[in-house]
Amino acid sequence: MRAEGLTSLRRVWRDHRRAMWIWAAALAVVTVFYLAFWPMMGEEMAAAIEGMPEGLMAAMGYDRIGTAAGYLEAVIYGLLGPVMLLVYGIGLGGRLIAGQEEDGTLELEFAAPVSRLRIYLERLLGSWLLVATLVVATTVAVLVSGPLFDLGVEPLNVLAASLGLLLLVVGFTTLAFALGAAGARRSAAVGAAAGVAVLAYVFRGVANAAGVEVLGALSPFAWMLDPEPLVHGFEPQSLALLAAISVIAAPLGAWAFARRDLMT
Amino acid sequence: MKAAVIDVRGLVKDYGRTRALAGLDLEVLPGEVYGFIGPNGAGKSTTIRVLMDLLRPDAGEVTVFGQAPQEGGPALRSRIGYLPGELALTGRVTAGEHLHHLASLRGGRGRQRIGQLAERFRLDLGRPIRALSRGNKQKVGVIQAVMHEPDLLVLDEPTSGLDPLLQHEFLELVRELRARGATVLMSSHVLREVESVADRVAVIREGRTVDVDSVDGLRRRAGQRVMLRFAEVPELSSLAALPGVERPRLEGTTFECQLHGEPDALLKAAARHRVIGWVARDRDLEELFMDVYRLGQATGIDAAPGTGAVEAPDAR
Repeated sequence: MRAEGLTSLRRVWRDHRRAMWIWAAALAVVTVFYLAFWPMMGEEMAAAIEGMPEGLMAAMGYDRIGTAAGYLEAVIYGLLGPVMLLVYGIGLGGRLIAGQEEDGTLELEFAAPVSRLRIYLERLLGSWLLVATLVVATTVAVLVSGPLFDLGVEPLNVLAASLGLLLLVVGFTTLAFALGAAGARRSAAVGAAAGVAVLAYVFRGVANAAGVEVLGALSPFAWMLDPEPLVHGFEPQSLALLAAISVIAAPLGAWAFARRDLMT
Repeated sequence: MKAAVIDVRGLVKDYGRTRALAGLDLEVLPGEVYGFIGPNGAGKSTTIRVLMDLLRPDAGEVTVFGQAPQEGGPALRSRIGYLPGELALTGRVTAGEHLHHLASLRGGRGRQRIGQLAERFRLDLGRPIRALSRGNKQKVGVIQAVMHEPDLLVLDEPTSGLDPLLQHEFLELVRELRARGATVLMSSHVLREVESVADRVAVIREGRTVDVDSVDGLRRRAGQRVMLRFAEVPELSSLAALPGVERPRLEGTTFECQLHGEPDALLKAAARHRVIGWVARDRDLEELFMDVYRLGQATGIDAAPGTGAVEAPDAR
C-alpha cells in the first residue's frame, strides 16, 4: 500500500515550522529596521561615501548606495538577506537527510514502504517551502517598508530581486541537501555548501573591486545582483543561471542517494 | 518444503576496510519464530539492515519472500514490520502523532490499532517523544512494528529496555503473531530473551553463522554439569574415557565433568566406587553460547554454516 500524499513533506514542515516562523519574524524585523534608516541616511550616506576609496566602495557594492535602490540592494539583498537565509537554508539542507540519518531519526522512514526517490523529493520540496516562506516574509517586509520610508522602488522590481534571492538560497540549500543525500556527513555537506557560498561572495567582491570579470561570471552572487533587478526588473538569463544550481545538484543527489548504503 | 521467507547465502558486507559480514547464511521458514543470536558487533544489525534494503550486499544472495530487498522495494517492505536496534526518537511531536505519521507512510495501515496497542503496553500517546524514557520509546518501536499486522517481523533486540513485565507482554504478542501466521526474526545478544518463543536459533560470530539448531536441540546439546564425590580417590581414566563425558577434572576425591547424552555409563562406572555425594544440573544455555562465542568450533559443537539443518543432539 502506498504512503499517503506527501507524508514526509508534511512531517518536515511540522518539525521545522516553529523555528522557521521565528526566523521569518527576525528577518522581517531586521529588514524593516534597516530600511527605516533610509530617510535619515539617504543624504548623509551620499555625502559620506564621497570620501571612501572607489575600490572599497565597489567591493562592498556601495557605489550606488546613495540611491534608494542601491541602499536596499547593499543592505538587504546583497548582505543581510542572503547571509541570514543561507545560514538557515544550508543548515536545513544538511539536516533533512544527512543530519537525521546520523541521529537515527530517519531509520523508520527509510524502512517504510516508500521509495528513496520519494523520500528525497518530499524532503527537498519541504526545504524549498520553508526557505520560500522566509523569502516571502522578507519580501513583504520590503514591500511594506517602501511607501513607509519613501524608498520609491518599483514593487515589481522588488519581486524580481526577491526571486533572484530565492533561487540563490534554494540553490545552496539544495547543494547541502544533495551532498548529504549523496553520502557526505552533515558537517561536511554544510561545510562544503557554506564554503562555496563564501567563495561566491568573495568572488563578486574581488570582481567588482579589481575588475576580474571571470570571477564575477563564476559567482552566483554576481548572477543575482549585477543585473540590478531593483532598477531593471526581471532578467531571465541570470535567473536561469541561479536556478541551474538546483537543477543540476538535485538530480545528482537523488541518483547517488538511491545507490548508497543508509544508516552506516 | 515451503519456500523460505528469508533466504541468505554467503552474505558479505564491508564497511570500508572492516568486514562486517563474512559469508553469513540464514534461512527462516514461513511461520517460524527465529532467534538470531550473537555478541554485539557480530553482524546482527548489519544483516537486518540488508534485509530492509538500508544496506546493499557486497556479495552473496539475499531474498525476502523470494525477492532481493532492493528489487522488492516499497512493495516488499510493506509486508515487513521493522524494529531497529537503536530507535532514535526526537522532536516535539507526541508519541501518538509519531505513530500516526508512521501509519501514514504505510498508506494508513495499522492506524486504527494504535490506541488499542498503546493501552496494552501502557504507553501514554499524548507525551512528546523526546521526553519518553528508553522503555517508553521501545514501546513506540514495538507498536509501530506490529500495528499493520505484517507477514514478516524483523526485530533487532526487541526486548532491550523493556521491564520484565513488558518483556513478557511482548513475547505474548509475538506468540499471537505467530499463531496468526506471521514469520518472526528476532535478534538478541542473549539467548535467554528469545529461547521461550523461538523455534530455531542461529548463532553468529564475527559475521558468520556458526550454529543453527532448535532451542530444544541446543538444550540437549548443552548437556549437564555433573559432580561426583567419592569416599576414596577414583581412577580418573576410567571415568574420563566414558561416552558423553567432556572436560573431566579430578580434584582430590571430587570428580567433575560436562555430560552429554544419557548418564547411564557414567552412573554405572561411578557405582563401582562408593559415592558419597552427587550433583547434576542442566547447563545454562548461556554457558553453551559463551563457549560458541569464545571458541567457535573447539567446543564440540559442530560449526555448520549454511546447513540450516536441525542437528540431532547426539550427532557428534
